[in-house]
Amino acid sequence: MDNNKLKKLKPYHVIFLVQNSMVALGLLSLPNELSSMGYSQWWIPLMLGIIANLTLIPIIWLFQRYPQDNLFTLNEKLIGKFLGKILNTFLVVYLIFFIASIVEGYLDLIKIIALPDRTIAGPLVVFFIVLLYIVHGGIKSIARFCILSFFLTIWMAYFLQWSILEGDIRHLMPVSNFTFHEFLVASRNGYFAICGYELIMTYFPYIINQKKAFKHASIGIWITITLYFSVTVVSVMYFTEWQLEEVIYPILKLYKAVELSYAERIDVLGISLWVLLILSSTAAYLWVAKKGMDALRSNNKTYHLYVIAICIFVFVMIPLSKDFQEAFYDNLFYIKFSIILWPNILIFLHLIKSKRKQASA
Amino acid sequence: MGLIKILGKILEKKVPVQNVKTQPVKKINKSNQISIGAIKQALDGVEDVQYKPVRTSEGLVTLIYYASFVDPVVLHERVVKPILQRQETVIHASEKMEDHELNRVINLITTGHTIIYLHKPALFYAIETFSAKNRPIQRTETESSVIGPQDSFTESLNMNLSLIKRRITNAELKNKDYIIGAETNTKISVLYLEHLVNKDDLACVKKKIEEIDYAGFLDIAVLKQLMEDHPISPFPQYNMTVRPDMAMHYLLDGRIVVLMDNSQSVVICPTTFFELFVPTEDYYNRWTTVTLLRALRFFGFFVTIILTPTYISALTYHPELLPFELLLNLQESRDRVPFPPVIEVLFIELIIEILREAGSRMPTKIGSTIGIVGGIVIGTAAVEAGLISNILVVLVAVSALLSFLPSNFLMSNTSRFIRYAFILSAGTFGMYGQVIALAWLFIHLLNLTSLGKPYLAPVIPRKWTDLLDSIIRFPMRFLRYKKGISALKNKRVSPLDEE
Repeated sequence: MDNNKLKKLKPYHVIFLVQNSMVALGLLSLPNELSSMGYSQWWIPLMLGIIANLTLIPIIWLFQRYPQDNLFTLNEKLIGKFLGKILNTFLVVYLIFFIASIVEGYLDLIKIIALPDRTIAGPLVVFFIVLLYIVHGGIKSIARFCILSFFLTIWMAYFLQWSILEGDIRHLMPVSNFTFHEFLVASRNGYFAICGYELIMTYFPYIINQKKAFKHASIGIWITITLYFSVTVVSVMYFTEWQLEEVIYPILKLYKAVELSYAERIDVLGISLWVLLILSSTAAYLWVAKKGMDALRSNNKTYHLYVIAICIFVFVMIPLSKDFQEAFYDNLFYIKFSIILWPNILIFLHLIKSKRKQASA
Repeated sequence: MGLIKILGKILEKKVPVQNVKTQPVKKINKSNQISIGAIKQALDGVEDVQYKPVRTSEGLVTLIYYASFVDPVVLHERVVKPILQRQETVIHASEKMEDHELNRVINLITTGHTIIYLHKPALFYAIETFSAKNRPIQRTETESSVIGPQDSFTESLNMNLSLIKRRITNAELKNKDYIIGAETNTKISVLYLEHLVNKDDLACVKKKIEEIDYAGFLDIAVLKQLMEDHPISPFPQYNMTVRPDMAMHYLLDGRIVVLMDNSQSVVICPTTFFELFVPTEDYYNRWTTVTLLRALRFFGFFVTIILTPTYISALTYHPELLPFELLLNLQESRDRVPFPPVIEVLFIELIIEILREAGSRMPTKIGSTIGIVGGIVIGTAAVEAGLISNILVVLVAVSALLSFLPSNFLMSNTSRFIRYAFILSAGTFGMYGQVIALAWLFIHLLNLTSLGKPYLAPVIPRKWTDLLDSIIRFPMRFLRYKKGISALKNKRVSPLDEE
């Protein structure tokens, strides 16, 4: 379509790309992740939103200085070609593991809820076919799919109605019944669900209106935060503190509260429709990984996409023990968080570099 | 996916397989000199060519024409009678052929002209006498409507042009003619309103037509498929109609209409997914009625592709999805059926497809009988024999009816094709498979283009005013904006900027 133009993301594309790359598996278990705070967890998403918004500022500031560069090329520019390549290799490998963790987590759920007594090989193959088809259209195709999957899934928020009716609003009080340690654990676990907006570091060069990118990305973040906030509030109202700690996927339990005359258990439908959200965020991550590979090899080749996809596929299919997987995926968080903070270091390098330029000039 | 794109490129390249550029008149002598002998040699073996000698007061004259193209009465009125009275009148009304124009003479004869050959001095003149019978303008059988004009296009290009031009009596309505098809020399005409059309679109259409290299065109549907952006996609990417008012409606919006001789339909490009569901009758009805009907048509398209697949996935994988009473009901009606739901659905869907295909191929008199027989066989006998459940019969009948709601026939064919993909994916992966197939469908639609414009335009609007004429059709006074897909770019220059 418009493959030749570099600038192709309109404001609404940016909003929904940011919004949809954040929502994936994290939302399903969010109230459980925050459960160390007990009933006081309901305002945590707001705080996480503010943190996300704050960490967005250096990202946008930096990339507005380098409007043609993405994270990978900027790494090479600012910390040197050799070190940059090593770092980029590390990032691509991390992205492969991260996408694998999302896909595997989701397909395990499918296996438990929708398709019992089946291996995940078949669903995994069809998932990858569609995923590659989406990524193949480029970042604009992904953005379009994000918009679509948002509108195809947002109506499920209506199902919260039953839980609100059955819940108890008094659960929202007291607001500050927690220790500092509990607070730290909850924000660490909860932040995993918020991640995703940092992908803007890679598609920033494609945004048409880069000056207003911060505003649009913030709108995207706050749409997600509103969603998360409503979900945690409703969960706090509906569940007891014990349930919050023990139920791994509280959202699916919320579905079970739904009473419709024409359908008994909505959770099967919900978890199946969730694939749209998973597809849109993994597509964004996969596209970023492909860009990383492009930067590593210094050329744009479509087969890079297939190479990465095969790596992810193989990694998902490798039989690993559940404990190892959990520990492994859990530690991915620290990499994730350092990526979000990484632009601050780059800004530091940028400032040194520009100072030196000024001095030599 | 990459594979599909590569395949597409191969297919695109393979299109001109039959590009054997044969000159229509090859056998004639190389000098290209006109003589009666050379004409006879070129038209050797053509039995319906006539050499009619007429003896006038000024000498012998031979008339050469195709008997199948020229009505004897017309020939007599236009040529023979005047030539007998005063030879000059006919000579003035006809075109003189130069000595070296043998190819042209042969071409003129094969398109229905009459060549007048004066023996002394040996001169050739050509006069238009094409008078083969055309089908009269009739009501349309395929796109009928209750309100609105009832005429439809015929197979004659000139008549079709007149049907449009009498509706838009404006010199801005331009048409550019082309001759395409190496063997058939088919005449096509590209019609547009000069001041409304998007110049890029027009250039794109012209380029596509000029690049087409194909031997023969049976119908404009062939040309349409050769012009499409994505040849492998199951979706039609241009609109096709036999209704002059529909062609006119889109011309007024700045679209391009392509007409072809000997083809009843015309092609409208570019078009959007949504417009393929909209007949022009929507603009004659009240807006409330139209809104209801549009919602039915548009959502009906999606219901028709997921209704029977949902039956499969609910019964095969997710019985807990259904309320207890409904599940009981379904199981009761299915208790004699020995197949799994997916086989059952495929079985009855295929029977419906066979019935439809048989009905459209059969002579009308037999067709109605078969329809009744088929209806009874499916409705009653198959259920009583325990082959299918009667709830499924209801679902399949509803989805078969829904598939005929789009105004574009190609679109309803597409919906039936896609349904099989959904049936198979629901059969293998249940609800998950269905949503994956839906995601595939949407991403495919999102990436489709019609003449380089996004195909799904009004759903993700190019212009907010498009929403006035989408599923909710606002009252007529609001519909005064051009659609986003045909809008001119960089047109709005405020007078202050030009100062």
